[in-house]
This record gives sequence, C-alpha cells and structure tokens, in this order.
Amino acid sequence: MTASGLAAIGAYAPRLRIDAAEFEAAWGRFDAAGIDEKAVPDADEDAVTMGVEAARRALTAADASGTDVAHLAFATTTPPMAEEDLAARLCSILNVPEDAKTQTMTGSTHAGAQALDATMDGGPFGEDIGLVIIGDCPRGDPDSEVEHAAGAGSVALVVDDDGPGTVLERASHTEAYPGTRFRTGGDDRTTGLGVTQYDRDAFTTTLDSAADRLDVPMETVDAAAVQSPDGKLPYRATGALGVDAGTIAAADTVSTLGDTGAASAFLGAATAFADDPERVLIAAYGSGASATLFVVTGPVPVETALDGTVSLSYAEYLRRRGEITRDEPEGGGAYVSVPSWHRTIPQRHRLVAGRCSACGALNFPPTGACTDCHERTSDFEAVELPGTGTVEAVTTIEQGGAPPEFVAQQSKSGQFDSAIVALDSPSGEQTVSVPAQVLDTTAEVTIGTPVVLTTRRIYTQEGVIRYGFKAQVASQRR
Amino acid sequence: MRDAYLIGAGQTPFGSMPEESYRSLFDHAVSEAIDSVDHGIDTDAIDEAVVGSLGVGGRQLGLSGPAATEHAGLHGVPSVRVENACAASGYAVRQAVQAVKSGMADVALAGGVEVMTDMSSDVTKYWLGVSGETEWERLTGTTFSGVYAQMASAYLREYGASEEHLSMVAVKNHRNGAKNPKAHLGFECSLEDAVDAPVVADPLNLYHCCPTSDGAAVALVASEDVVEQYTDDPVRVAGVGAASDRVGLFQRDSYTAISASKKAADTAYDRAGVGPDDLDFAEVHDCFTIAELLAYEDLGFCDRGEAPQLLEAGTTDADGAMPVNLSGGLKSKGHPIGATGAGQIVEAFKQLTGSAADRQLPAPKYGLTHNVGGSGGSAVVHILEREAAR
Repeated sequence: MTASGLAAIGAYAPRLRIDAAEFEAAWGRFDAAGIDEKAVPDADEDAVTMGVEAARRALTAADASGTDVAHLAFATTTPPMAEEDLAARLCSILNVPEDAKTQTMTGSTHAGAQALDATMDGGPFGEDIGLVIIGDCPRGDPDSEVEHAAGAGSVALVVDDDGPGTVLERASHTEAYPGTRFRTGGDDRTTGLGVTQYDRDAFTTTLDSAADRLDVPMETVDAAAVQSPDGKLPYRATGALGVDAGTIAAADTVSTLGDTGAASAFLGAATAFADDPERVLIAAYGSGASATLFVVTGPVPVETALDGTVSLSYAEYLRRRGEITRDEPEGGGAYVSVPSWHRTIPQRHRLVAGRCSACGALNFPPTGACTDCHERTSDFEAVELPGTGTVEAVTTIEQGGAPPEFVAQQSKSGQFDSAIVALDSPSGEQTVSVPAQVLDTTAEVTIGTPVVLTTRRIYTQEGVIRYGFKAQVASQRR
Repeated sequence: MRDAYLIGAGQTPFGSMPEESYRSLFDHAVSEAIDSVDHGIDTDAIDEAVVGSLGVGGRQLGLSGPAATEHAGLHGVPSVRVENACAASGYAVRQAVQAVKSGMADVALAGGVEVMTDMSSDVTKYWLGVSGETEWERLTGTTFSGVYAQMASAYLREYGASEEHLSMVAVKNHRNGAKNPKAHLGFECSLEDAVDAPVVADPLNLYHCCPTSDGAAVALVASEDVVEQYTDDPVRVAGVGAASDRVGLFQRDSYTAISASKKAADTAYDRAGVGPDDLDFAEVHDCFTIAELLAYEDLGFCDRGEAPQLLEAGTTDADGAMPVNLSGGLKSKGHPIGATGAGQIVEAFKQLTGSAADRQLPAPKYGLTHNVGGSGGSAVVHILEREAAR
C-alpha cells in the first residue's frame, strides 16, 4: 500500500547570494561549471531552519497544517547535529502530532529521494498527509570544486492519497561506486578523488539502469529535474535518461542556487511545476552510488521563495562560512540549562502564549503571576499566536557589541537589530510583547514596522543548538 | 520607629585601579567613612554591616560580605552581601536604615564594592548584562546598553525628543564631574564630542553610556539615640522608598518610564513629608543618559515627556533650581555597579555637610538619591535632610 498523490511543493533558498565572478576575482578561476551565482545560508540558517521554511510553504500551498501530518521524513547530507533525531525538532516546530511516524535520511545526496520513497510507502494517509522535508547546504574546502559549487536550499513535498499531483511511476538502482563524493567521519567538508571518467560513469550508469525500469516513455516528460552537483553534470545524463538538454534546463536551479545536495532534483521539480507542465521526471542521485527516478504528473501547487536579495562579496562569504571568524569567547556565557530550555519549547517553537484566567491578558511566556493584572494565576489558557506583529522598541547591536552567546553569529553576519515586538493574538484584538532579533534586512526597522516571525538558530551552548524565533520585516518576506 | 541619621560617608576614587582588590577598595572606603565622622567612631561601635555587590568577575560570590568586612577590621560584626544589580548598595543603605530604625542596631555600616576593569575583554563581555532578563532578553542577543537603547528609541518616538538631548545630559554631567576629584571620567566634554561619538546601540552612542569602574563606597548610619555621640551636624534619613518591577523590559507596562522609580520616589516623598519642589539637589541613576531623562519624570521633577525641556532650561545644571548629579553621576563619576548607590549617598552627605568643595551648593537642606537595578527591575530612593546644628 502506498500514497502516490502529491498535494503541493514548497521551496526555499537563503536570500544571500554570491556571484561566480567573486570567486573568479578571489581565486583567478571558478571551478563550478554552469553556476552563475549561488545561495549562501546565513549564520543562523541550517538544514533544519531551511527545511522549516520550505515545509511551511508546502503546507500553505496544500492548504494543510502540521497537525495533519501522519508521516514526516527529513533528508539532508548536512544534519546540524551529527547524532540526534532532528525530525523531533521539526515536528515540534511544525506542530506535527507526537504519534506521527518520523524518518531521517542522510549519508548521500540520494537521501531526499529515499525520504520521498519511504513516505509514499508510509501511505495511504486517508485524511492525513505525509510530509517530506529536504534541506541541504553542502560545503567543502575553500579551494575545492565542491565548495565553489556549494549552494543551499530546501524543498518540502506534501504526499497524500489523491494529489492533485500524482507520482505515476518510480524506480531505483544501487551499485557500488566508492570514492566519487564522500565525507569521512567527524569532518564537515565533502570531498572527492576527482577521477573524472569514473565519477561520470557512476552517475550515468545508475541513472541509466533506473531509467530502464520505467515504463513511461521519456519523450512524454516536459521537464527533467536531474541531480546537479554542478551545472554541467546533469546534461551528461541526456543519453541515460533519454531526454534532451532543453528538458533538463526546464528544471534548472543549480545555475542560480548552486549545488543543493539532497534537495537538488526536488528544487528542480518545484521550479518546473511553477510553469504548469504535465509531466516531470525527478532524477535523484547519490554517491556510493544509488539513484531513484520519479515520474510525476501535474498540476502540483507550488509556493517558493527562491530569489536572492542580498549579494555578498567573497570576504563576506568567508565570514558567513565561518572560515575567518571566531567562536564563542572563553569567558563563558549566560547559562540556560537544556531542561529549562525544554520547558519553553512550546513558546520558542510554536509561539504558545497564555491567556490569564483572571483578566484575559495575553502572557508570554505563560508562567508566573500575570504580567498585566499581577494575579497569581497559574491557569493560562494556551493561545497559539499567528506570528505577526509590530516593532515597539528597537536598537542595533553594533559589530563587536554582541553578548558572548552571539559573538559567533555576529562574527559571521555582522551587526543585528534587537527589538521588542508586539505579537498579535489570533483575533488581532490583543498583543503580547516579546524580545526578538530582526533578521538582517535592507529595509530600515523602526517603531511601528510590521514583522512576521520565523524559525532560526538562536545560539548554541554546550554543543546543543537552540532553535527559536526571530522577526523578519513583513514586506521583506519572500 | 526611631529616626536614623547619616554620621559619615566615604568612597574610593572611581576608576580603573588594577592594583586594588575588592577587599582593599572596600577597606579604603571604610577608612574614608570613619574619617568623615565628626567626633570619630571606633569600629567596635558598628553593630551591623551590609555590603552591596553584583559580584562582577566571580571573585568571592559566596560570603563576600564577611570577606570584605573582616578584611576591613569589622571583626565579628554580622555582615551580609546584598545583590540587586546596580541598586545593590542603595538597598544596602536601606537595610542599614531598617536595622537602625528597628532597634536591632545603633550603628550600621552600609557599603558597596565592585571591580570591573581587571578582566579580559572576553570575561567582561559575559559579566556585562547579567542583570537583564537572561532567558528571553539577553539570550535573544540583547545587551544591557541595547535594552536602554530600546527604551531610548521608544522615548524619542513618543515625545519627539532628539539624540542631542541624550548628549546634553552627558555634557552637563561631565561638567559637574570635572570638579569631582573622585570621578572616573573627570573631564569636560563638548556637545559636539557627545553628539559625534561612535554608536554603541542606536540611538545610544559612547557618550550616552557610563563607564565600567572599580570602586567602593561606605555610609555609616546611626540611631537618634546615639547620633549626638558622633556629630553635631546630623543628616537625617528623612524618607526611604523602594520598589521592584519585571526584570525584562518586554514584560513592563511602559518602555518610557521606570515604574519602580516612580513607586520608590512616591514612597520616599510620603515618608519624608516633602515633595520634589522641596529638594535642593538630586543624585540620579544615569547609567545611560536616557535614564536621567526618565528619572526627571519618574521622580516628579517634571511631567511626562518634559524632561528635555527641563534639561534645555538649565534647571538641572549645577546652578539651576534643581541640580542633578553634581558628582558627575554614573556618566562621569563612574559606575562600579555594587558601589554606585552608596556612592550617591556619599555625594549627598558631602553636600549636606558642606564638604563638597568645588561643587558645594550653598546650604542645601534636602537631597535625593535614586538608584536603579538593571533596566528598572528594582529601584531605591533616599531623601536626606540636614537638620539644624545641635
């Protein structure tokens, strides 16, 4: 039994971009063929936060919510924590029921396809849905081809029983090809041996063998979203897949986002479905090697935020990548224990405020005496806030002025705005104030500026990433 | 309850003194306070000691009260450390007054000490801002100057005040502090300097922020039953008020007022039976210059939103109708966190006993001190009165 409906796709890429010319100027050459510019994650972004951005958009496009999810699969080659079930945090942030089945796929760029495959097999879902979240931000050594190509992006697919989109057919192939693209244990940089013909063979052989198992004639495919570690390799698969270069180009994202790893082929599909094609081929490949092909018929509703808005110089890029920046200073930081952080997860992940039973005022966090009437009520009615609000007070924490817990972030991303935001109640009739960073923006942030909250890394202490909310100027939300 | 009197007060210079320890600083302040007592006092006469300190740098977080008072020769005296951030020693003085008024002590010593300038910049980063709300405020990346900057942003917007008003406070306080040999930054500054300084946290620039300082200050409080043994020129503690509020700015009713200050002042005025118009001077908590503007309003020197006009009119200048921060305030005199509140008492004592040298007012009768903890989570106000010579 399976679920083969595709209800929607959401896609996201960081707003930061670097042009290939910046690499060319720095290195005298640019080693990632076919890439014009690429997306760069900010200091507070990772595969999880990007995944949340895509998932929220996919749920919106499917007119669904986190509470509908019965099966959640997360895929990335760059898990922010090497060990720990990150699907648990994604479920918490997205308000997915605690009895949902979860899976985390990693280890190769094929992980995204494995996640979709497994989620389809988790069906049928009846009234519920399956949610596949793929976020990735590969990196390599600064002078490597992998790093020159490395981009960032995320995509989420809502799987259900009846579409409107349908996965018509799927096929896989696995065959041992060691040493094409790999990362040794404990390392955060992907590399390869650079045996050119062998690497290409691994790619084309697995795709070709998987394609042989499909019945759908390839000439009926309008766009082929092919795994793109750079802008050239996917076009070497024309013969293996039986599609022409134009069909592959119709699903191109690598030229503007760079290598998006496990999200690569699916970001291509998100882009292709925006043009309302009838039939799209998704061709995902991972080193090792394995490949899965999906033939999907449209229409598939798509909501994307893939455009870049901020261009980085190469020096700024090195800062964002943490190549020339400092970590938290040794003097220590303000300490909030993991258990006490855990107690506030509903607030940090889902903006759960509380309505005072005595006076009706909203409290955030909803603990202790009411901040409005000061009654010792412990009886707060949980109110999940929609995440819209208005800046009430604001300052800029200048470069070098951040508290120790934020020194690493500031070293990478520079000065940041710190505001008090009046968050709207669901009815819009009340507000409750919270402190929040305002994401780097080209718009000036002043008192009265409307904002929307999003999920980002707040800080890391004792190796544990603390995810929470930050504000984004509403007019800047893509 | 019986009356309490200030019989002595003294302080170290405020500044950067890497050769001193928290104990040696406290000891110097005790010596100055003892030396300031008209008829002299023996340490054996001290029944109670309260030491204010945030504990910056860690040093002696546990038992720092006894560690300081034993070193200063107050052997065996009950001693306790009070922690209320920047209001620590304002509260220490209040507790000494309570001990004396209640009859538990005839003479109580209240002081404060902080060492802030001998640490690495990394360690300093940690200790600055430990008095904001930690879990939500600091750990979203907000600094201590950032919180006051948020208040300044709201104030400037609400009342149409300008950043120049923030700079005018700095110019005034530096002008006063230049006459105070104990001041950390005892130099005058031009309005141009105070306007053009580098931005710390918009709209606050460097001249809108007080320095971090080392220092100690001590006051001696005696009961009406014994005061005549020590002085013929008594300074009565006419009224004390204190109040608390939410530690995090985001949970307060207003960002443009410090309600704990208002409540503390109302209580102190009520107990003293005087109002703002009766005061001859005030030492207010100007950790950031916006805080001095808020203080004018919270303490009733003017109506809401009128602090800039009060400042422009020169009312709070040294020669104005209500001189504020004759010592230079935190801005120029310095801000050794735990010593600041007691340091304000030292200035008030000097003014009221005619020992303020170059910055002496002609025969003041009432002075007010205003000490705030954090960004307004706590506040304490003392009103001191010079009684007719006995």
